[in-house]
Amino acid sequence: MAIQVLMPKIGLTMTEGKIVEWKKKEGERVEKGEILFVFETEKVAFEVEAPQSGFLAKILAQVDEIIPIGGVVGLLIEKEGEEVEVTPKKPEVIHEDIEKRVLEVRPDRTDRIRATPMAKKIAKERGLDLKNVVGSGIGGRIKREDVEATLDQKSSEQVLPQIAEGKLVKISGMRRIIAQKMLVSKVETAQTYMTTSVDTSKILESREKLTPIIEKMAGVHLTITDILMKITASAISLHPVINTRWTPEGIIWFDAIHMGMAMALEEGLIVPVIWDIGKKSLSETAKARAALIEKGKVGRLTPDEMKGSTFTLSSLGMFGLEEFTAIINQPESAILAVGAILDKPVVINKEVVIRPMMKLTLSYDHRVIDGAKAAQFMKTLRELMEEPILVLA
Amino acid sequence: MGKERVIVIGGGVGGYPAALRAARLGADVTLVEREKIGGVCLNKGCIPTKVFLHSASVYREIKRASLFGLNVEKLEIDFNRLLARKKTIVDRLTGGVTSLLKSKNVKVMKGTASFTDSKSMKILETGEVLIGDKFILATGSIPAKLSIEGSENVSLLTSDDLLNIESLPSSLLIIGGGYIGAELGQFYSRMGVKVSIVEMLNRIIPTEDEEISRALEGFLSKEGISIFTQAKVEKIKKDGKNKRLIFSTAEGKKEVITSEVAQTVGRRPYYLGMNIEKIGLKTEMGRITVNDRMETNIPHIYAVGDVTGGIMLAHVAMAEGECAARNALGYPSSVSYLAVPRCIYTSPEVACVGLTEKEAIKDKGEVQVSRFPFHAVGKASLVEETEGMIKIVAGKKYGEILGVHIIGPHATELIAEAVLAIEMEVTVEELAHIIHPHPTLSEGMGEAAMLLSGGALHLP
Repeated sequence: MAIQVLMPKIGLTMTEGKIVEWKKKEGERVEKGEILFVFETEKVAFEVEAPQSGFLAKILAQVDEIIPIGGVVGLLIEKEGEEVEVTPKKPEVIHEDIEKRVLEVRPDRTDRIRATPMAKKIAKERGLDLKNVVGSGIGGRIKREDVEATLDQKSSEQVLPQIAEGKLVKISGMRRIIAQKMLVSKVETAQTYMTTSVDTSKILESREKLTPIIEKMAGVHLTITDILMKITASAISLHPVINTRWTPEGIIWFDAIHMGMAMALEEGLIVPVIWDIGKKSLSETAKARAALIEKGKVGRLTPDEMKGSTFTLSSLGMFGLEEFTAIINQPESAILAVGAILDKPVVINKEVVIRPMMKLTLSYDHRVIDGAKAAQFMKTLRELMEEPILVLA
Repeated sequence: MGKERVIVIGGGVGGYPAALRAARLGADVTLVEREKIGGVCLNKGCIPTKVFLHSASVYREIKRASLFGLNVEKLEIDFNRLLARKKTIVDRLTGGVTSLLKSKNVKVMKGTASFTDSKSMKILETGEVLIGDKFILATGSIPAKLSIEGSENVSLLTSDDLLNIESLPSSLLIIGGGYIGAELGQFYSRMGVKVSIVEMLNRIIPTEDEEISRALEGFLSKEGISIFTQAKVEKIKKDGKNKRLIFSTAEGKKEVITSEVAQTVGRRPYYLGMNIEKIGLKTEMGRITVNDRMETNIPHIYAVGDVTGGIMLAHVAMAEGECAARNALGYPSSVSYLAVPRCIYTSPEVACVGLTEKEAIKDKGEVQVSRFPFHAVGKASLVEETEGMIKIVAGKKYGEILGVHIIGPHATELIAEAVLAIEMEVTVEELAHIIHPHPTLSEGMGEAAMLLSGGALHLP
């Protein structure tokens, strides 16, 4: 009897997954626990293990196909050559144990590489990826001397001044996905930018007043970003075109604002999401933000907490950067890049005064948002930031 | 364009595989042999000695048959039958090679081929002319001889003679304790001949691992062979019907009176008659110079086997012959000498591959060594062959197998696994991990590896 291999559900809001790679070919033997296929949902890739040993009889969902959770992606058989009946893909009840078999993508493995045990040992010890070694043995098998020659070449490359120094680091699953997403964002959207300067005097003032209150209410330390996110959400609610998504079927205008906050990790970038920020109070926002960042730092964010954002805010102010542009977090329509608050001379009532200024740069998808609409949004945003009390209006 | 014409000179284990491979690769092949197809290996080397040694080994088994619960009434040596059997086996095998050559349409010619220019040769005996595109020279070697004072008046035997002797002498002294001397010495000793071996270096089979060589020396001495090492032969004299050999050792002058003296002091490359000087073929110290693709200094001429003076073993010549044929026909190939097995068919047998312990230390610095005795292998007990051991020399850091040295039952068969291990750069870890069949002697190989990877199971 054929065993169905299903698209697992790995988070509460996951509805579908895209097949990234099949680790086994049709007809190939698989052992229970071996990685069978990789799928991705939003920004994260996951490996799925074979539920039991046998042979992969049929691949029903090809690479790049998007399959709803519980959809049958392949069929396993116990004995080689067993007949299988291909049933239409239909979602089934997900068993709990499928979730357990899902692991986050690990670095690429060196399977399918023919190398002698010695070559493997030396390569492992020296951190050399055998994918970068040409084998000279029988049938192209990588031998010790090939590994050593590659290592020698690498070390000699380092002395040549015209060749950049460095080591080759394998591309992690996360890096690969980031790369793909970033490129898609650049290539498939009509990214356009506009920048404005904001006087943050009132924001700083408010923060000072609110910090002890929020601390008391929510037990977290209020940040400028919390206030900025909240104000941005208010601005978006006045300009809903910012909170949209381009799809081939049409433009989706979202009811709720789910605010993504770009967060740098050692190994890459994640975007945890504050759900329905428009309905959250400032203290709730701060609390949610603090919890997400805490989890993100230790790698405990669930996929649900990293997807579904409708607009993203990215701040590099802590690095003292005056301004920068951010890349749209696809499939959103816009992203706001927040610079540092710096004391600047500004002219107010024909007098030069020093004010804590901050630059905001909007990257927007011109397919959805016209320049004038974006400018209106930025104008509102500046006004609200300079006079936070208007949020109440 | 017609077929590439390949001319192979010499029908031994270097030449005939070259001819067969060239023919398989589509060439028009002619092979010229002056004597018999099969060369030294089939006619007066590997095969006939092993026929002899097998009889010696069966003889020993029958003598100790009671160990296995078998009583044998009468046992005697029929040396003529033994010689006849040798001829039958040799004829069968050379006949086999001849028909293989025929099946591949290799033209075989008898005679001495001599270069007239670099693209043509003449058969001296018949005057026939051969024109070729590619030449593979595989003329082999002849037994080397020492110059010994007094040898002009005394006939000395070579290994060739020892295989064609009409009747058994009462005593035999062998100069040279290499593998030929050790094998033939043990054979004659087991046939009831009083045998002495005189070796110039400090131990017999001096190129092999010292422990193994010492162990073999012990076994041969125990069987009654007198072994003299660090012995320098000074002179030889007639002594009535016998011969008297005088040599000096560390303990002073010695002499042995013996009915026959043979010398097995190695072999030297042989290319006389080919007229290679005329075409400017490069030689060095009496051997044809080649690179690892078996190419000589003349682009379309290759040389393989003993005539190149490399490792003078049949299986090396065979590998080189094939390599030359491939290169000659445009399939780039080279010979790997990393894992050349070396087998001595004494009993117990000796088989080695890779580096000796000493060579490994010199080459790699620190090494690790394991020794697994056959008395701890179940199969060895049931065949009553519990003496000897398997010794593994491995790299210190990674445990890569650098050398395997076996003295014991069926060592020559057991070594194949080690050849694969070295060629495939296996480490002790994998060798210890794989499953060896039970009950077999090969379990000793796994256990020897385990000694360097987690510990052996069958040793306390």
